[in-house]
Amino acid sequence: MLFSRRLVLGLAMAGALALPARADGPTEIDLFFPVPVDGKLARDMGTLIKEFNETHPDVKATAVYTGSYDDTLIKTRAAIKAGKPPAAVIMSANFLLDMQIENELTNLDPLIAADGTTKAQFLGQFFPALHGNAVINRSVYGVPFHNSTPLLYINAEHAKEAGLDPDKPPQTFAEVTDWAKKLTKRDGDKVTRWGIAIPCAYDYCGWMMETLTMSNGGRYYNEEFGGEVYYDTPSMLGALTWWSDLVSKHKVHAPGATPGPAVSTSFISGNASMMMLSTGSLTYVRDNAKFPYKVAFIPRNVRNAVPIGGASLIIPAGLEAGKQKAAWTLIKWMTSPEKSGWWSRATGYFAPNMAAYKTPEMVEFLGKNPDAKTAVDQLEVAKPWFATYKTVPVRKTLEDEVMLVLNGKKQPKDALVAAQKAADELLKPYNAETALKLP
Amino acid sequence: MKVTNPFKRLFADAPLATRGEITPKLGFALVVLIAAIWLIPFLWMGVATLRPPSDGINLMAELMPSFKPTLDNIRDAWEIGDFPRYFLNTTIICTGILLVQFVTVTLAGFAFARLSFAGKTLIFYLFLMQLMLVPVLLIVPNLTLVATLGLYDTLTGVMMPFFASAFGTFLMRQAFEAIPTELEDAALIDGASVFQRIRNIYVPLSLPSFSAFAIVSVTSHWNDFLWPLMVINSPDKRPLTVGLSVFTKTAEGTQAWGTIAAGTLIVIAPLLVTFLIFQKRFISSFVTSGIK
Repeated sequence: MLFSRRLVLGLAMAGALALPARADGPTEIDLFFPVPVDGKLARDMGTLIKEFNETHPDVKATAVYTGSYDDTLIKTRAAIKAGKPPAAVIMSANFLLDMQIENELTNLDPLIAADGTTKAQFLGQFFPALHGNAVINRSVYGVPFHNSTPLLYINAEHAKEAGLDPDKPPQTFAEVTDWAKKLTKRDGDKVTRWGIAIPCAYDYCGWMMETLTMSNGGRYYNEEFGGEVYYDTPSMLGALTWWSDLVSKHKVHAPGATPGPAVSTSFISGNASMMMLSTGSLTYVRDNAKFPYKVAFIPRNVRNAVPIGGASLIIPAGLEAGKQKAAWTLIKWMTSPEKSGWWSRATGYFAPNMAAYKTPEMVEFLGKNPDAKTAVDQLEVAKPWFATYKTVPVRKTLEDEVMLVLNGKKQPKDALVAAQKAADELLKPYNAETALKLP
Repeated sequence: MKVTNPFKRLFADAPLATRGEITPKLGFALVVLIAAIWLIPFLWMGVATLRPPSDGINLMAELMPSFKPTLDNIRDAWEIGDFPRYFLNTTIICTGILLVQFVTVTLAGFAFARLSFAGKTLIFYLFLMQLMLVPVLLIVPNLTLVATLGLYDTLTGVMMPFFASAFGTFLMRQAFEAIPTELEDAALIDGASVFQRIRNIYVPLSLPSFSAFAIVSVTSHWNDFLWPLMVINSPDKRPLTVGLSVFTKTAEGTQAWGTIAAGTLIVIAPLLVTFLIFQKRFISSFVTSGIK
């Protein structure tokens, strides 16, 4: 008994020591951020937050690094449930719906109204394609911070070698297949250079499937309702069959599920002549490619369409008013044209704030790097990123099956039927609660 | 390496009945092979760390070292992360956990091995059940508890859930049960108290098990990523794994391999050096302990 009492006392004391000292100073807030590109950008984020703290003496923000997008979601949720929500989070844009369903987000409408602006004015700053992932049930829940679209990267040197014109990039699935065949180099049965590389690792794989499905005329999910995904559909089947054919029929795409970093590495090293990758990798490619390259729209089969990627800033639910206000100040500052543009130039993500492209720095930058404009041009045909109830597990059901297909262990049709079944199972509780609930 | 010829003979020479069995020679060959496979990533890490960035990404996958090795990558990694601080934090976490664990697993192991109390078997099984739970499952309840105790964003908070160890308790119970009761009876006649008996008989005789447990405990907490990521917010309280992942967790597919290799080398170096120094002791602790 004595022992356990001592233990409890000890814990209580440890707790008392750990309690933060209350003092009248600046409002201390945490900003959770996943590292979008590499270690150097973690330093850039440090620079950004330092500048904010210097210009806002009444707020002291700390940038808290939180791993990948998926890790960031886990950490944010755990922190909210533990009663320690961070003030703001750079959250993968497609997690907002799921978080809103779980009541984990602060509705930003009142904060916008308190600033004396309307929702339309506030949203009007950002590219229209981004609104879908920021607005849920007509309320604003997220502020676009750094966003991306997938792009087709082409090694211009290889293209010329193969007698192809890099200034006229392939525009359809068929043309890509044709290019990839011409670009692939073989030594007997061994492939020494792949025609194309498309990433398929968790998170990336689902996004690429959405890209291909949309270009094939389809939809990935129900944009208006979180309880439906469209895996077992002709458009998805066509997209996956095309991808799978590149691997097993034409043998112009390396077999197996390749993670994003391996794709960019093989493109940079000349082992793959084309790749589909996020515009978020553009700065990396620009800094490391020792050959001329071209950036083009994602090819279509039926129509030109791409999903939005990247992240938005959110304020978790359950925050005290003072911190909420400080977080809002930080968010508005980070998404201003100047900062938005600065971050875009550092990373390769496009700036969601349209006015960023009118700043002199950006005009000069685009003059020097016209490749940075492709993603912005592609926004004309961009649509929201898939977002459902339980986004991550629902996404993984498809990704697991696509990986099996790329490894040659399953046929596209069987894979999609299995993925649909697993996803429906996960979505069941939400549908029972909403769509299937009868009066 | 003329392996192929004797390799085939191994089967031809063997008596019919044992032809399917793994002979000692084959076993040795297998060990060498596995060791080589195990060594390649380490070799690559060393080579990649010393490769100048000017070599470009083309040579990154090669195991052949560059002719002009450089320490630039190590300097880069060292500058991006506050590694001395991360080292200190990880060391505090690992030793803190281990010290408390030694006390708890010894007492719990002794209780399960030697004391008799109501529901002993049931409680023991409940204890073992903990081994089957995936740690991720416990993140939210653990974090809620840690936050309630005011330990959010503290190193104590990172350590607390691991103060008791089901695996350690099980290991020590097995070790204590193997010790003859006569020794304890003799001490009992001399009037030794429970704690004296544990300290003078059970602990000294179970040292190999303790060091086996220490290795398992330290390596697993040294490598733990998700839990410290959940608890820690302040940059100056990050352990090595969280600090390192700043380079390695990328969202949209790009990586600076040289810096990653250098960072990884910095992180594992202390464990590697400790292992090389205490190699014999490590191995003998596993041979003589319950893990055979």
